[in-house]
Amino acid sequence: MLPAIVLITLALAPLGLLARTGPRPLVGWALALLPALSFALLLFQLPQVTGTTQIREVIPWVPAMGVELNFALDGLSLLFALVITGIGTLIIGYAGHYMHDDPGLGRFLLYLLLFMGAMLGLVLAGNVLTMFIFWELTSVTSYLLIGYKHDYPGARRGALQSLVITAGGGLALLLGLLILGEGARQAGVAPNQIYNFDAIIAAGDAIKAGPLYTPALLLILVGAFTKSAQFPFHFWLPGAMQAPTPASAFLHSATMVKAGVYLLARLAPGLGDTPLWNAALVLVGGFTFAFGALVATRKDDIKALLAYTTLSMLGGLIMLIGLGGKYAAEAVVVNILAHALYKSALFMIAGIIDHEAGSRDLRQLGGLRRMMPATAFFIALALLSQMGIPVFFGFVGKELLIEAALSSPLADPLRYAALTAIVVAAVGYIIAAWRLFKYAFLGTPSPTLAQRHHVADPRGMLVPPAIPALLSIIIPLALLPWASQLLAPAASVIYGKEIGFKLALWHGVNSALMISSAAILVGAVLARFERPLAAMPPHLPAWADGATLLDRLLAGVDRVGALITRSLQTGQLRRYMLYNTITLLLITGVPFVLYVLPGLTFFSPDPQLRVYEAFAAALIPIAVVATIRAESRLSAIIAVGVVGAMVSLFFVLFSAPDLALTQLLIEVLSTVFLLLVFSILPARFATLSSNTTRMRDAILAGMVGLLVAGLVLATATTTSFEPLAPYYLENSLAKGKGQNVVNVILVDFRGFDTMGEVTVLLTALLGIYGLLRMRREKR
Amino acid sequence: MYDSIILRSVARLMLPILLMLAVFMLLRGHNLPGGGFIGGLVASCAIILQLVAFGPDFARRVLRVNYLSLAAFGVFFAAVWGLPALLTGQPYMTAFWIPDPIPGVGKIGTPVLFDLGVFFGVVGVTTQIALLLAEERNPREASDAGTAAP
Repeated sequence: MLPAIVLITLALAPLGLLARTGPRPLVGWALALLPALSFALLLFQLPQVTGTTQIREVIPWVPAMGVELNFALDGLSLLFALVITGIGTLIIGYAGHYMHDDPGLGRFLLYLLLFMGAMLGLVLAGNVLTMFIFWELTSVTSYLLIGYKHDYPGARRGALQSLVITAGGGLALLLGLLILGEGARQAGVAPNQIYNFDAIIAAGDAIKAGPLYTPALLLILVGAFTKSAQFPFHFWLPGAMQAPTPASAFLHSATMVKAGVYLLARLAPGLGDTPLWNAALVLVGGFTFAFGALVATRKDDIKALLAYTTLSMLGGLIMLIGLGGKYAAEAVVVNILAHALYKSALFMIAGIIDHEAGSRDLRQLGGLRRMMPATAFFIALALLSQMGIPVFFGFVGKELLIEAALSSPLADPLRYAALTAIVVAAVGYIIAAWRLFKYAFLGTPSPTLAQRHHVADPRGMLVPPAIPALLSIIIPLALLPWASQLLAPAASVIYGKEIGFKLALWHGVNSALMISSAAILVGAVLARFERPLAAMPPHLPAWADGATLLDRLLAGVDRVGALITRSLQTGQLRRYMLYNTITLLLITGVPFVLYVLPGLTFFSPDPQLRVYEAFAAALIPIAVVATIRAESRLSAIIAVGVVGAMVSLFFVLFSAPDLALTQLLIEVLSTVFLLLVFSILPARFATLSSNTTRMRDAILAGMVGLLVAGLVLATATTTSFEPLAPYYLENSLAKGKGQNVVNVILVDFRGFDTMGEVTVLLTALLGIYGLLRMRREKR
Repeated sequence: MYDSIILRSVARLMLPILLMLAVFMLLRGHNLPGGGFIGGLVASCAIILQLVAFGPDFARRVLRVNYLSLAAFGVFFAAVWGLPALLTGQPYMTAFWIPDPIPGVGKIGTPVLFDLGVFFGVVGVTTQIALLLAEERNPREASDAGTAAP
């Protein structure tokens, strides 16, 4: 069932193109049935899944190397899969409304479904390589989604930056995972199991003690931090807001950016709880947590504001994983669910504001409360949950966050750092949320907005954000036992041991509640002064922005590339021949001189040498010299022909009739070709290059000649390998059904080589065809 | 091209003989010197001889095919005969043979058909190159014929 869910989602993605016809919102909802079905199927698995029991399905691929398509369902992957399919259902329905007049909706839904399939594969993978394939697929499909409006330079830039950052991190991740597998092998894991999450986690202590742990972990962290937009890789996430709002709501609130969190959460019981792990996750995550929240308080674009709170929350989750302990595991899963709910609602409502009011810039909005009362209500629910106001789901998450930091087993400096980050972020969230609501919904409409007609609550479009917004208040009030049943197995996976917990709204008056109340109070006070706060320094200079730096880096790569191309691709054949010759001398000649040459015997007198053989052999160098010295083209052709004829003669003398025939025919044909070419050129050679150039070319050509001669000598006299010839001679008739061994080799034993050669011939023809046709068209 | 009565007479006479030799070389290849590559070269020699004697327009008409397409077809045809092996789960290009030889042709199997593909490929490539070069030599002649390219 698991591979089916992933592969069917991917295979049915082209159904998205159906949205090109028919009533848009309806088609959107019809397509939303696909993820809804997966959601229902996964929900049925809930009773069977606990932290340690799994549903596992394996499709072998390269069994000898432990490579397989391996899908597994446990508490953690079930939570993520439900979030992906659940939010996905709403997003697709929403997209049908939001983009109802966009001619590209079909293409957009295609990308969205592909992305969803990739994301499902990522969280359902039971093997790091399977996970990595889908990890990369999410990078590629999100590139398509972000760059959907590809005629806007901003969208292209955002898409490219996200691809460069996440795919670059993906490279580091791949390396890290392979090293991790090697570490698992050294830790005694069976070779065909080294890439399985379970085996890696079970062997965690041995891997941590091994030498490969640190490099593997550092590389994996780069992969996870880039994907989850941690400082200093955070800047691609706000840039990715160029995507159409449904994509932002899906990718950058509920799914893609959580991939890094997911990976770290999954590896935590095996690889976690070392000084490096704790310090890296707590410091990077904690800094991003506070930094994102603070930047969010200054943003005027609603989507940018939400993007910064998103990367902040991702930092919070990563920090929690670094903190370790039972409460941290619980806090991670609760916050994942709470964040997915309120953030998807917020993004979708941001889209509604943009759609209805024509802008998502806080400076151009205002007073929407009267025009769009229902929208204002739902965004208020989501914002209150984000702020962590009591009885909302976000409050439950924040209490656990503080509890996790207070009860963490880590050393005090890290704990206090975490606690500071939590308080700063909590205050930041309150200010950011207050600003958003105040400038968009309160006050009086801006002049541009007042002139706009028909600014009102949408109907169908409001349903998808209303559901997660309502759940943000209904779950803590009524559904906590149900949510505990879903979240406890997920937390158990992160913790590594089965933990049963019951979520509760009220834990009594404890230090967590005190801290969180204090944060709310400080936030409420500071929110009054948000205007002077936003004007306060520090303001980063423009060049220090990560996106600008990356732009410069990419432009630099382009410039270097252009420089190399210009200096190498001169368009002159003699230049290319020079490069090829020098390359051959370097990569073949140098190792030949170092390793092969000392072992060669050059002169072994052959008692059977006959006079005519010596005569033919002597004729070849004479003809070569004649070719070089020739003044007219015709005599050069004739002299080259002598060389070819003598070589064929040798084939005859050494009983290779096939080779002799081929050589002779090739000689004839090349003579004709040369004649055809030379008949365009003057009859006599002209001396155009300087003597130094000619000397250089002569030396290079001589060296290549000596090299090739040496290689032939080496292959003919080597004894390092068992010769192949006897095998061919014995099996030609039996297995190849032919007595002509040469031909059987050509068409059967080494048929693949012949296939390649014929293909090369055809390619050469196409090259010549193109060259001559282009010349002809130029005239 | 070269207005020589001797060359033209010999060329006309040699065309069928060389083409038959080419097919002969192709068929005997599996047991005696020859094969698709050599056969293909002989056939293109036959056509290029016409090219030299009568010019590119005549040479184009010798086989009544587009040599570029022939080259592509040959490579395709050769590649196709590696596929049957995949259907039986064996590696690409594993050979299959008809048990009994066919009179006048010899044993038939996928390697022989592969060789036939090589034959077409070689004929197409070499002849087309020669034609391109010959037409390059005298662009006016080619444009008069109305077909600068096949």
